[in-house]
Amino acid sequence: MHLVVCAKQIPDPETPPAAFRIDSAKNEVIPAQGIAPVLSPYDAQAAEAALRIKEQSGDGKVTVISLGKESAQAAIKQVLAMGADEGVLLSADEFQGGDSYTTAHALAAAVKKLGDVDAVFCGRQAADWDMGQVGVGIAEELGWPSAIIAKDVKADGGSFVVQRVLADGFETVKMAGPAVITVSNELGDPRYPKLQQIMQAARKTVTTWTPGDLGLQPGEIGAAGARLKLEKLFQPPAGGDVQIMEGDTPADQAKALARALRDAKII
Amino acid sequence: MVGGWWSPAVGLSGIGLVAALEVERTDAGREIFFNVQQPWAVYVFMATLVGLLVYGFGRHAGLWLLGKPTPGLRLHPRHRVRNAMRLGLGQEKLRRDPYAGVMHWCIFSSIVVLTFVTAQVALDADLSIHFLQGNYYLFFSFYGDLFGVIGLIGVGMALNRRYFDSYRRLRWDERLEDHLVLWGLALILLSGFAVEALRIGATELAEHESWARWSFASYGIAKLVEVFEFRDGQLLGAHTWAWWTHVVIAFGWLGLVVFTKLDHLFFAPANAYLLRTDAPGRLTTIENIEEREIFGVGQVQDFTWKQLFELDACVRCGRCTSVCPANLAGQPLSPMHLIQDLKAHLANVGPELQRVGHAGGDQRAVATVAMVGEVIKDETLWACRTCGACVQECPVMIEHVPTIVDMRRYLVMDEARVPATAQAALENMEVRGHPWRGTALTRDSWMEGLEDVPMFDGSQEYLYWVGCSGALVERNLPITRSVFKLLREAGASFGVLGQEETCNGDPARRLGNEYLYQILAQQLVETFKAKNVQRVITNCPHCFNTFKNEYPQFDGRFEVFHHTEFLARALGEGRLRPQHRVDSSVTYHDSCYLGRLNDVYDAPRQILEFLPGAAVQEMARSRSRGLCCGAGGGNMWQEEVGERRVNHVRAEEAVGTGAESVVSNCPFCIQMFEDGIPAIQPEEEGRMRAFDIAELLDQAVFGRNGSGAGGGESVR
Repeated sequence: MHLVVCAKQIPDPETPPAAFRIDSAKNEVIPAQGIAPVLSPYDAQAAEAALRIKEQSGDGKVTVISLGKESAQAAIKQVLAMGADEGVLLSADEFQGGDSYTTAHALAAAVKKLGDVDAVFCGRQAADWDMGQVGVGIAEELGWPSAIIAKDVKADGGSFVVQRVLADGFETVKMAGPAVITVSNELGDPRYPKLQQIMQAARKTVTTWTPGDLGLQPGEIGAAGARLKLEKLFQPPAGGDVQIMEGDTPADQAKALARALRDAKII
Repeated sequence: MVGGWWSPAVGLSGIGLVAALEVERTDAGREIFFNVQQPWAVYVFMATLVGLLVYGFGRHAGLWLLGKPTPGLRLHPRHRVRNAMRLGLGQEKLRRDPYAGVMHWCIFSSIVVLTFVTAQVALDADLSIHFLQGNYYLFFSFYGDLFGVIGLIGVGMALNRRYFDSYRRLRWDERLEDHLVLWGLALILLSGFAVEALRIGATELAEHESWARWSFASYGIAKLVEVFEFRDGQLLGAHTWAWWTHVVIAFGWLGLVVFTKLDHLFFAPANAYLLRTDAPGRLTTIENIEEREIFGVGQVQDFTWKQLFELDACVRCGRCTSVCPANLAGQPLSPMHLIQDLKAHLANVGPELQRVGHAGGDQRAVATVAMVGEVIKDETLWACRTCGACVQECPVMIEHVPTIVDMRRYLVMDEARVPATAQAALENMEVRGHPWRGTALTRDSWMEGLEDVPMFDGSQEYLYWVGCSGALVERNLPITRSVFKLLREAGASFGVLGQEETCNGDPARRLGNEYLYQILAQQLVETFKAKNVQRVITNCPHCFNTFKNEYPQFDGRFEVFHHTEFLARALGEGRLRPQHRVDSSVTYHDSCYLGRLNDVYDAPRQILEFLPGAAVQEMARSRSRGLCCGAGGGNMWQEEVGERRVNHVRAEEAVGTGAESVVSNCPFCIQMFEDGIPAIQPEEEGRMRAFDIAELLDQAVFGRNGSGAGGGESVR
């Protein structure tokens, strides 16, 4: 059984607000100084789901694909350390500046090139833009069924049984493979790699594919192929009008607060 | 060597010696093997005993040698000999419990002296060097009896503690052998007196009563027996019985050395010799970590032979467990049981491992119960605070903490079995260079509102190392600011690294991820060297310990000061002048990494003495007996399992002093108290507050509003 995990490297979602800056003129996030990009947390859960199925089936193979800059090797290595077998990086200048559509298009092309894939696992959404489009986009491109926001995935012969998280409960669906599944955090924590695996992953070489390797034309991918245009990116003004209640004791402060609220005709 | 503990006995013996020499030349003496038929049986016993000892220790040694080589044993031989004398023969640690110290010294010295007495008898009889004569015989009779009495006092104290005292720790793992050893010893001593008294009654009392008086105790018994007017034949019959009883029990008891905790007679001093000679806060480095196949200790043969050896030294006294913070909070760790469980496991799987080893097979493939996970449960290993209290108390010098961390290393690096919250901290250190997942602060947040924070550029004398907790945890920011202001006020030439700080790796190492630790440590050593750092001031005892004791392992040699050390010196030199009243009763909490593991107890207390109006109330557990706040060993980032939380136990002790504030020197301790005190004092009114000592000094120097002189009520 051959499973593919799509992994995206994103700016650290735990970047402290004070370090998060936007270049409004260029409509870009300015990378925070000294804060390294990370593997999107949902993608780590997608990897966990795929690895559980690999272990369940006994003889599976997991390939991790990332579309991004050279630095995305780190995200691929992380999934390799968790137990994935091979890594592919789609990296070229032409890929830059794309949207969910071009990303899905390129990843689907990579899955086709791999050939014998039984299922593709994505995070439910990337934790930077939170679009949640790429997974279903790949399914559309490949003409495969998809199930999104999974909390549990099991292989059943050539099919997949997926438990999905709904707003008011859970839903279990079964679909024939090959299929695309997007995974939610309800799946549980991704595994902590053993040191031996980390070292093996460090020694593995990641294959790099360019648009040419995938038979993609420049107009299909990256900024040239993007269908979504970012109009404006800005940070809402932070802070507010805060008045700190002075007082030697909490009781004094409470009195001051009550007085202030009465003055403002709130109480 | 053994201080005042020997003096009463040595003094009495000295008096006896002088008195014996004062006696006119005499032909005093006695017949060895008096009234004993078939004395050759003694030699059969002796041969059997020697055989037993050789067999027993051979068997033990075979098990120890399953272990790996022990690094560093050839270093510091003098230090080791001194340890063997002071901690081994001198039993220094036993005195931390004075009752047990006296009890054990009585028994120990009695056994040593009476063995010497018996050896002289043997020499006299076997080599026909008849020196048990004359004045020396009288002295010999005296000190033999003296140490017999001392032994009985010790045994009496031991019997009292074992059966009548409400002393719990001896009952945590009480076994048949504990009773056998004690009663055996009592019977040896009592039968010895019986033999002596009956011999005196049958011979000396009638002929040489002045000789008999030297055996003062036996003489007393003989006089008592005399009252009953037994016939000589009866006395001689009883003497024969008593003699054989004495000999049989004595040899039997010595045989127990092989099979019971009595083997500590040899193993405890030996283990004192083997005790580490470097800083107690230092963990071992896994050399060439990238080339290894197994990183931690998962099976007994992964331990060093010293770690296996010390399992045999344990006498189940329970001191370690009685001071273990996890155990006090009802959490699943008892250092004593951990050692005993490992010992039992070694005895269980050792022989098979030896067989496979001799046959050249793969010991790792030997199917046994899992040592880590089944014999020693994961939660037991995670409950350890690495506070070192167990190691500190152990009278036979067992080092529990490195053994526990070695097994954690196996859990984390070989098995990847890590509690979720600890895993998050480790991943955070790996990805973000600090353990504080989800912090909204940056490494310069604390600088807001402070003017001209100098960046370290190699030109300043000191690097002020703020640390992850000092920069990224809201509660600790005021501490960092206080230290900063005080350093500036004291005129120190210093700078900070700001955004260039990264975790020095301490939590990773304590949690068992030595690989991550080494990466972080090597990076930081490089940074320090590149910036020409020579002296470091930290406000975190964990950073302090790591820089001071562990970075030399990576060729990072810096002069490291905890802020309390620096500030105490600045106060002493008059570079800081506390002029505002602090008016508060405070209790001082020794953090384990500053106190027990680095022996800094006085500097913080000196600072407290400088605070105008601060009244210090010590907790019952303080200084080297201080109790961990609960956060050490990576437990800052773990969910606690057990009846109580350690910080609740410690907060209760702090609150119990009645002080208004608890003062410490460690960002973790402060957080643990802030979290623990409300559980003990639910009412906010009058609740104890937790401060770093630098915050109080800040108040005393700059006034309560921190606005410099005149900001608060002045002392003058």
